[in-house]
Amino acid sequence: MKPLRPARITLYVAVALLAVIILYPIYILFLVAFSPAHFTLDALYPPQLPHAFTLQNLTTALQSYNLIDPLFQSLQVAFLVAFIALGLGIPAAYGLSRLPPGLAYGITTVLFVANILPALTIVVPIAAEFISLGLYDTAVGLALLQELVVLPLAVFILLGAFQSIPREIEYQARVDGAGLARTLFGTLVPLAKAGIIAAFLLSWMFSWDEFTFAVILVPIHPTLPVVIYDNITRGNLLATTAFAIVMTIPVILLTVVLQKYLKGEELAGGLKG
Amino acid sequence: MGSSSPAPVPGGRGPPNPFRHRLHLSRETWVPLAFILPSLAYIGYFAFYPSVDVVWLSFQTPHPAAFGYNYATLVQLGVWNAIENTVVVTVGALTIQLVAGMAIATILTKEFRGKGVFSSIAILPIGFATVVAAFAFSLIFPAVGGYANSALVGFGLPPVDWIHPSAQALVTIMLADSWKNTPLVTIILLAGMTTIPRSLYQAAAVDGAGPVRRLFYITLPNLKRFIAITLIIRGISEFNIFALPLVLVGSYPPLLTVLVYNLYSPTYPAIYQASAAASVLLAFVAVFIAIVIVMGGTRR
Repeated sequence: MKPLRPARITLYVAVALLAVIILYPIYILFLVAFSPAHFTLDALYPPQLPHAFTLQNLTTALQSYNLIDPLFQSLQVAFLVAFIALGLGIPAAYGLSRLPPGLAYGITTVLFVANILPALTIVVPIAAEFISLGLYDTAVGLALLQELVVLPLAVFILLGAFQSIPREIEYQARVDGAGLARTLFGTLVPLAKAGIIAAFLLSWMFSWDEFTFAVILVPIHPTLPVVIYDNITRGNLLATTAFAIVMTIPVILLTVVLQKYLKGEELAGGLKG
Repeated sequence: MGSSSPAPVPGGRGPPNPFRHRLHLSRETWVPLAFILPSLAYIGYFAFYPSVDVVWLSFQTPHPAAFGYNYATLVQLGVWNAIENTVVVTVGALTIQLVAGMAIATILTKEFRGKGVFSSIAILPIGFATVVAAFAFSLIFPAVGGYANSALVGFGLPPVDWIHPSAQALVTIMLADSWKNTPLVTIILLAGMTTIPRSLYQAAAVDGAGPVRRLFYITLPNLKRFIAITLIIRGISEFNIFALPLVLVGSYPPLLTVLVYNLYSPTYPAIYQASAAASVLLAFVAVFIAIVIVMGGTRR
């Protein structure tokens, strides 16, 4: 075994240091969630290492707070956002992939301009509008606004998927007598499956995390991030840790299980063309 | 009408009309356009219309008053302070994220034992919601006690109030935001680094350039485009930073977004004041984009 060079040592020290910094907040979150409160939140200067293990924080929080309704609301909104992203995004991406590049580029830019408008700027007038439209405090209303951030990204990913399908396949389907709708949904959509799943997942995950639109638009039937914020402001910190864990686990599971669809090549979208 | 240049007659031999070509859409063009139309209509209604509406609302007042009354009130409500704080957080957080992202991306270009584990750890914060990240940091950096102070006191140092003095609060926000968002910066910069030919580094090493000179003469110049992308994506999010400061430090010190939220009410006439604040936020993003475009234009 050859001795380590100074450069190597610096590298390993940097790696260890960065890993500790990144893992520390996650460690603290789990420490508080699974330790008795007198070792964590009730202590002025809590010890950094775990002293005892308990599941009581979680069970108490789940019993005494209504988690089912926010969970259901979050799920409902996230699936709506993901399905609308595909419903609007698949035709749009198909259309863009068949337009002259200059025009397609212009339209994509317009979509992304919508993406950079501040969420708060949009939600202030829209909330007033939604009250009169009956969309205020509804899952549909929230999904429609969250879609704004998701749609350009979804179109971009789907565009890459459609561009990678050779035009000959489409012509062949048309020659065989398939109409435009059947060509798109019968032939092209199955071929773009990986991109479609990637777009669906990203849209779902964005909605799951989204706070700004949610805190203003669904105050009475809040989603999970809003419930977490409400509980922090009320000082229910132990309950908040439970909610934070509940909110995090699906995303981690989803990322791990569907990792193969979240690869760079799927997300690079229209950049490949 | 008596001009000498003949009007373009359809199918005739008039001078080429630059607009005629554009207006004439072939079937090849309008069929795809029809597919895109729903998305465009949607974006128009939910993004562009509110942005115009918000500016219009910002100039409305319940009673006849001086033009720009809502903006004058904003000044009394501390909008300058909010703008200052927003700029400080944006510049600070972007700096931390670029430096940390650069360091992590550089490490990930090297081969070492445990690289796989480290690269997983490096992108782990992406999986945590912003409110969850903010909450975890609020456990570490509260006003009194908490995990950071527990460490400080353990080393015999005095404890710090992390969220009340303005300066500490802004630093805490920057740290929490950087924890959550450095992974994205790392991913973009790493993608950029893989495009730099290794031969450049080998040539530089032969010429005796050390790691610092290689960073400034090879890595950074070649990453210019990727750094610009990072600045645009993260810069805009940084102006809009909202959930994180709200959960972490509450409404004080105010950032622009938090100011909008404090003023917000969906009822008239309260909405006029909130609209003025929201318009300032909009102007901010517009100015930032303009700066990036102008700088990008001169660089080329």
